[in-house]
Amino acid sequence: MYYFSQILVAIFIFSAQTTWLELFSFGGVTPDLVLVWVVYCGVRYSRSSGIGAGIALGIIQDSLSGGLLGVNTLSKSLIAYFFSTLKGKFFVEGMIPIGIFLIVSSIFDGLVFYFSMGTILKGEVAASFLYQSLPVYSIYNALIGSFMFLVLDKIDSWLQPTTPNPYMRMRI
Amino acid sequence: MPKKGNTKNIALVSAILLFSLALMTLNVKQEKGTGFLDSASGFILSPFQNFFTQSIQSVSHSINHYFFLVDVAKENDQLKLEVQRLISEKNQLVERLASQKRLTKLMAYEEDWEKKAVVASVIGRDATQWSKVVVINKGTQDGIRDHLAVVTDAGVIGQVIHAGLNTSKVLLIVDGRSAVDALFQEDRVSGVVVGMGEDECLVKFVPNTADVKVGDQVISSGLGGIFPKGLVIGKVSQVSKKKQGLFQEITLIPSSDLSRLEEVLVLLF
Repeated sequence: MYYFSQILVAIFIFSAQTTWLELFSFGGVTPDLVLVWVVYCGVRYSRSSGIGAGIALGIIQDSLSGGLLGVNTLSKSLIAYFFSTLKGKFFVEGMIPIGIFLIVSSIFDGLVFYFSMGTILKGEVAASFLYQSLPVYSIYNALIGSFMFLVLDKIDSWLQPTTPNPYMRMRI
Repeated sequence: MPKKGNTKNIALVSAILLFSLALMTLNVKQEKGTGFLDSASGFILSPFQNFFTQSIQSVSHSINHYFFLVDVAKENDQLKLEVQRLISEKNQLVERLASQKRLTKLMAYEEDWEKKAVVASVIGRDATQWSKVVVINKGTQDGIRDHLAVVTDAGVIGQVIHAGLNTSKVLLIVDGRSAVDALFQEDRVSGVVVGMGEDECLVKFVPNTADVKVGDQVISSGLGGIFPKGLVIGKVSQVSKKKQGLFQEITLIPSSDLSRLEEVLVLLF
């Protein structure tokens, strides 16, 4: 039941990301729900589950995008790795820490794209990418992500009603 | 001596890096090598994308056509389409005239466009923020293959980069990896339209001596083998000439509204 619900969430997130999320673009920038989910998995789940989710979601996102295969796998799995490692050292409850985590991970994600585009693909990236698109993307992800954390927490608590404490929600 | 935990961490990060770099290398070295993943994920997700897209379109149409201005919205849509069609027709005629003046033969594909094109609906967009790619609901079963030109009534939108069985990915001209050989319709000066990952494109390699003005129309040159000659790409929005350097800095706005694509035409030649 738990894994089935996770597949449903994945289908919903990827479908939303590739269809109607464009309607909420701000200055040509749309939030990355997959990135938010990866951070969620890194923060909430056990280390191995978090990293595994990061790799799997990165590969799926790569295959659903027209970009270079491996770019999202790299960024998402490293993000999941760092947050699953760091979560024991920081207090990660509340909007502000989660928002900061999402801003940092968005900047990292954008920079991985920027360098892969410039070095491997030899494509063009607008000069405004670093000072306009990337900050907007990070802040947008932080705003949407904080709300999405609440929704995902709610879904998790429905699926595992016996362990309401988020610190007890570690899975193997 | 390093701690056991540190060694494990280093091994894990190295494994992630190696795995990702292996994927990138595979993708760059052999274009077809990763087609399976693309096709499989597209196959699984396309019914959901279709469902979401159709739901959004029906809701959007309901709001536009019934709740607000029923007749005005419909008429406006029709007039917009008509204007786009007339502009497209005018450009084709201007191009034909220019070709005749230069005593070149008319190209056969201009006469039977409709017979060699497939209409497709846009069912999805790229799963990341950064790539400018759309997914259409036609694939190899409908005769679509890689590197075919994709257009709308208003002009060029991009090219097919991966044709799956039932769906295909179209790289839009605003993507940083896109490059289209182009001509300025009036001056016949050539350049290359490249995307920047934003709403506008750059026109590169236009000499400083060329007389390019804001509002000039840019069309495909036919070179490169993907886009037929004479398709509208967009209009010049900004021109900047540097005292030093060989080329002008020209910005172009695509003629098609790439953020609101619904139906597109894939040219099968």
